[in-house]
Amino acid sequence: MDDSKGGSSHATHISPEQVQRFCEFVYRRTGMSFTESKRYFIDRRLEDRMAATGSSSFQEYFSLLRTDADHEIEHLINSFTVNETYFYREDHQFRCMTASLLDAIVHQKEPGGTVRIWSIPCSTGEEPYSIALWLMENWSQVDNYNIEIVGSDIDTRALNAASEGVYGDRALMRLSRDVVSRYFRPIAGGYYQIDEGLRNSIEFTRANLIDPQDMKQYRDFDLIFCRNVLIYFDDASRRLAAENLYDCLQPGGYICLGHSESMSRISPLFRVSRFPDAIVYQRPEADHG
Amino acid sequence: MADTATPAKARVLVVDDSSLVRLYYRTALERAGFEVKQAINGIEAMEKVLSEPYDLVIVDVNMPRMDGFTFLRSLRSGAADVATLPALMISTESGVQDIGEARMFGANFYLVKPVAEAELVRHVCVLTGATL
Repeated sequence: MDDSKGGSSHATHISPEQVQRFCEFVYRRTGMSFTESKRYFIDRRLEDRMAATGSSSFQEYFSLLRTDADHEIEHLINSFTVNETYFYREDHQFRCMTASLLDAIVHQKEPGGTVRIWSIPCSTGEEPYSIALWLMENWSQVDNYNIEIVGSDIDTRALNAASEGVYGDRALMRLSRDVVSRYFRPIAGGYYQIDEGLRNSIEFTRANLIDPQDMKQYRDFDLIFCRNVLIYFDDASRRLAAENLYDCLQPGGYICLGHSESMSRISPLFRVSRFPDAIVYQRPEADHG
Repeated sequence: MADTATPAKARVLVVDDSSLVRLYYRTALERAGFEVKQAINGIEAMEKVLSEPYDLVIVDVNMPRMDGFTFLRSLRSGAADVATLPALMISTESGVQDIGEARMFGANFYLVKPVAEAELVRHVCVLTGATL
């Protein structure tokens, strides 16, 4: 069983059957579906984790993973998530939020009422912070409602980075100089840290989109941004995620997906809503049947 | 507290339970040259005005633990140096009764949300005697 071969390239000794078992495990835990075509992506991460845990064989690593020794499942999930993003990404949806969606949402609320917005997955925080910045810069009603913004992700490492709120030039490239100088302060190494008040205004939490138990804690959102994650899921997980997200929305609430994603192909639960700046999906006001 | 000496920057305390609202007011006022501190409710605001000097307090009405009206009543019945602190009340409540109550508790002025940045700065300038 143990054939301690040493060297750095552990994953090259993994059989296709072992890769399949491993992929099934990742799928059950995260909903992310990887096939043989992503072998390189899988090998790299598997190699890293085997080296980090000092595992000399796949079997040794896999049993460690299954018993979740030293929170290895969390470490593995963290290594599989992609956290490359930037502020004001796909900003036509933010424009749609302030030009159309929020008017429809607050139409049903009293002044001073709560508007709940969810960014999932929020990665290292660029999206929820972008929502807050956009609202302060572009929504004339920003002080008329109690706005709650929650950022959630399955990757705890990304969540820690989000709470820290430290970014490099690349993440800030779409922001105007004025916005950067107002809401960020330069720190060592050419980085910028986002304003403390902004960091405190967003609640960061861990959540797994395909875990109904996890998702039960999240309810009554008026608007959800769930962008560029469903593309990593297979059909069954996508449908499960969509059903979970539906339950997290208020009746009449909206969900924004990534530009290459379409809810119509995933679930019939939502209604397509076309606005001048974006196509979004709405949980109907009244459930049918 | 304030004699005839005018501070370089007028100090404003923003009291609101919504962090985004505090941030929005703070950013607008800092951009206009004011020094801004924050409190999340009347209790925290009371602690702040008793421990450091301010030129103006901006206070919301509906807040947990101590609302804006209770805060104003405590402020006006306090020691002389804080009792005269100008107060701008900003609230979503737009009823005549709310505005009357604010006056009764000692608000110097009352604005109904939403308040645009320029409007906020203009009122803060008037109430602190600052010029832009």
